[in-house]
Amino acid sequence: MKLELRGITKRFGSLVANKDVSLTVEPGEILCLLGENGAGKSTLMNVLFGMLTPDEGQILIDDQPVVIKDPRDAVSMGIGMVHQHFMLVPVFTVAENVVLGFEPMRPWPILDRKGADEEIRRVSAEFGLEVDPAATIEDIPIGMQQRVEILKALDRDAKILILDEPTAVLTPQEAEALFAIMRSLTAQGKSVVFITHKLKEVLAVADRITVMRLGEVVGTTTPAESDEESLATMMVGRDVNLVVEKQPAEVGKVVLRAEHLFAEDDRGLTAVNDVSLEVASGEILAVAGVQGNGQTELVDVLTGMRGSTSGRIELDGVDVSSANARAMLDRGVGHVPEDRQRHGLVLPMSIADNLVLDIQHKPPFSRFGLRNVKAIRDNGERQIESFDIRAQDGEVSVGTLSGGNQQKVIVARELSRELRLLICSQPTRGLDVGSIEYVHRQIVRMRDAGAAVIIVSSELDEVMALGDRIAVMFDGRITGVVPPTTSREMIGLMMAGATLEEVASGAHHG
Amino acid sequence: MADLALPAPATARDAAVDRADKGPGRMRRIAAHLTEANVVVVTALSFFVGLCFGALLIIVTTPALLHLWGSIFSQSIGNFFPHLWYVIRFNAAAIWGNYLQLFTGSIFDPRSVWAAIQHPGNKSLWASALAPMSETLTYATPLILAGLGISIGFRTSLFNIGGAGQIIAGAIMATWVATSVSLPLYALLPLEMAAGILGGLVVAGFAGVLKAYSGAHEVITTMMLNKIMYYLLIYLLIHPPIQQPGSSDGRSKQIPAAGTLPHLLNWISPALRVNWGLVIALCAAVLVWWFMERGTAGFRFRVVGANPDAARTAGINSKHIIVLALCVSGALVGLAGMTQVSGVNGYMDSTFGGTIGFDAITVALLARNKPIGVVLGAILFGALVAGGHQMQAFAPGNLPIDYSLAQVIQAVIVFCVATPALIIEVFRLKDAGAFTSAVKTQGWA
Repeated sequence: MKLELRGITKRFGSLVANKDVSLTVEPGEILCLLGENGAGKSTLMNVLFGMLTPDEGQILIDDQPVVIKDPRDAVSMGIGMVHQHFMLVPVFTVAENVVLGFEPMRPWPILDRKGADEEIRRVSAEFGLEVDPAATIEDIPIGMQQRVEILKALDRDAKILILDEPTAVLTPQEAEALFAIMRSLTAQGKSVVFITHKLKEVLAVADRITVMRLGEVVGTTTPAESDEESLATMMVGRDVNLVVEKQPAEVGKVVLRAEHLFAEDDRGLTAVNDVSLEVASGEILAVAGVQGNGQTELVDVLTGMRGSTSGRIELDGVDVSSANARAMLDRGVGHVPEDRQRHGLVLPMSIADNLVLDIQHKPPFSRFGLRNVKAIRDNGERQIESFDIRAQDGEVSVGTLSGGNQQKVIVARELSRELRLLICSQPTRGLDVGSIEYVHRQIVRMRDAGAAVIIVSSELDEVMALGDRIAVMFDGRITGVVPPTTSREMIGLMMAGATLEEVASGAHHG
Repeated sequence: MADLALPAPATARDAAVDRADKGPGRMRRIAAHLTEANVVVVTALSFFVGLCFGALLIIVTTPALLHLWGSIFSQSIGNFFPHLWYVIRFNAAAIWGNYLQLFTGSIFDPRSVWAAIQHPGNKSLWASALAPMSETLTYATPLILAGLGISIGFRTSLFNIGGAGQIIAGAIMATWVATSVSLPLYALLPLEMAAGILGGLVVAGFAGVLKAYSGAHEVITTMMLNKIMYYLLIYLLIHPPIQQPGSSDGRSKQIPAAGTLPHLLNWISPALRVNWGLVIALCAAVLVWWFMERGTAGFRFRVVGANPDAARTAGINSKHIIVLALCVSGALVGLAGMTQVSGVNGYMDSTFGGTIGFDAITVALLARNKPIGVVLGAILFGALVAGGHQMQAFAPGNLPIDYSLAQVIQAVIVFCVATPALIIEVFRLKDAGAFTSAVKTQGWA
């Protein structure tokens, strides 16, 4: 099946999310749709999947114009979509999830379970997608859940499969497995639209690459004709520096020492399991790992947001095991939280107010319990200027800013203090390349100024680019601490649970 | 009526538009403002809906009017339209008469104002000209104070529905102080105020401590405390030292003259009940604005209210803030209890607080928690109470109109204001998203 989009334009008020976008998906090819966050990739795919109605333009299937009113239309025309956030019912089985909405009945209203199971076995055998139809979704790993999503689309006879940022939640090995599935699908005549902002993946898997910027298609190319630099330049619209420039670390005294830390998550299950680590002044310790392996709780414990169940934390030689968030902030711990909108910012409040959120009670921002509005405003103007926050002025509410600029507000706030230790959790999640570059530079600047830095990130590229040492976390434990020269494969294996010794001896390969 | 409700913000806003744009597009700009969802338009339309609903209610509950509507079908074809016109006119006159009473009873009666102007020296004429306003402001006074208190809770994401109990607590403390110490006015009144503040503060603060340190939800605890305070009041009204000696019908001792908030317009007529409580309430409104916008503590209240997670990350101790915010909230509500017993009633009985505690929640909601909005909303409520009494007393003809009609109108207005999405949909207003999101975050953009 050939799919063509012709001159698609979609506006949201005064914002043009897609401007005269045209692209073609040939049968049996993998088309990569590359672009920064906010470039309009998801909008375009939502138009294609019938979730949004385009203001102008046409969709053609096999050269026939079609109108796609809703996702059900899209499915019946052979378009399948795997969303970034899975649309699965956690307590249902794989089979139940796959047939949901199109359940085989014997006679109505009794669900034909056996028939459903068989159908799933048939489809999964056909495309080499291994799943257990009887397993419950919440019990299977993320990579498997994604396979269920793909299976769901194939079960509805999708001829074109749209994958929206599918690798964001996968380990490098799981991503490789996904690419293999994508290739086997195209070998059978299906087409895949692969949406991403990761350059390495694009070059590894694409047949053709269409690059979008600011709602427009800026060009189409192939992996053979391009490399990472040229793609990044197309994507951002200017030359970008993909490598973080930094001098070798000048390691000083140990600033943070954590010994045998244990902590529980919100459900009371052990999330941090006997973690010990050290960070010295002037170095960056990067914590790698697939999301949900205890990094969030570890950061919470280190910043005083969550009590540890046992273990000891020392900051500059002082025991701070039971210090609260306020005390940690006062001791010079800067914290860029994982979820910037939930933990980092008060969205309805102004930029200036957010820039003093954790120092609002200190002079010059507060005197005798009264806010010094002028000092707060001046500080806002200054930080907006020096951290290049794109906003009209400091009185604009933070909620109106783009993700990148919101993150800059947090970074500006944390980095404008005297810091002993900076803890950044997913510092560049959802940011465009330009902002990523900027945030990375600021983190390195802080390191060079003598702060100890901990970066927690699920982006392997970021971990390898920033870390002076890399600690890999799996299932609440640190499986090993390695230098950044370690291969991606080895780190990938450790992210999947292999210990450093196993990886080094090659024992895990079997 | 709708235009009279909130004249100040409307003209201020239009004036701002005028200044901003003097070109030929000026009228269009104003027109655009009138069709977009903003606070003035939504409040005005809510008022309109309330009055329409009230009109419908008058027709449906008045047999004479209902009969007339029934009679239009028994007319000959030729007489149908003239008769229909008569029915409409008659109905309109009846409704108009009622709403006229609502107006003259709460704002002013042009005839008495005219009479007073013609005889500027005649104090009794002035007294009757000013009486409606005086009544409106008298009813508004405790609502301003309690509404301010509740709104501080709302801005911290705390739903203090214990206004009724805190008013009682404030009033008990104030009455006790006023009837048991003998001091001159200038010393006794401040002491009474402090006692009223303390009463409300302790009750609400207790709910705050429970919430912060045991997780008990403030809605439940403040509601239960209402009940406790009410029965405590009943008990105290028939026991010393609060009970009026020799009286067994459940009333407190009379507050002495030295403990009574003086009437503001005593020099015109002692019958004008508006008292210094109004001045206290207006000062409190300014103070609350200043505290919330300029105070470091107020800023923390707002941060905790808007995003408790971010507050925690920023090292703000939300437990302290919860206790503190409920203390401040209760203090203001307690002060409302004090002004009510010391300025209006002069003693406590089992119903002295009326529905102030709950109306205050509605006022805060109506005001979107802004102090100026609380003042205006309280005056609106006061006007509906004062006007409602007048409407009942002077219902034209033999129509069985009573005070509850004013309350229904009031309720419909609040309903509409609290659900702006409904008004926006019904009147096809342009919603830029700013309005509804502002409501969600409990503050105007």
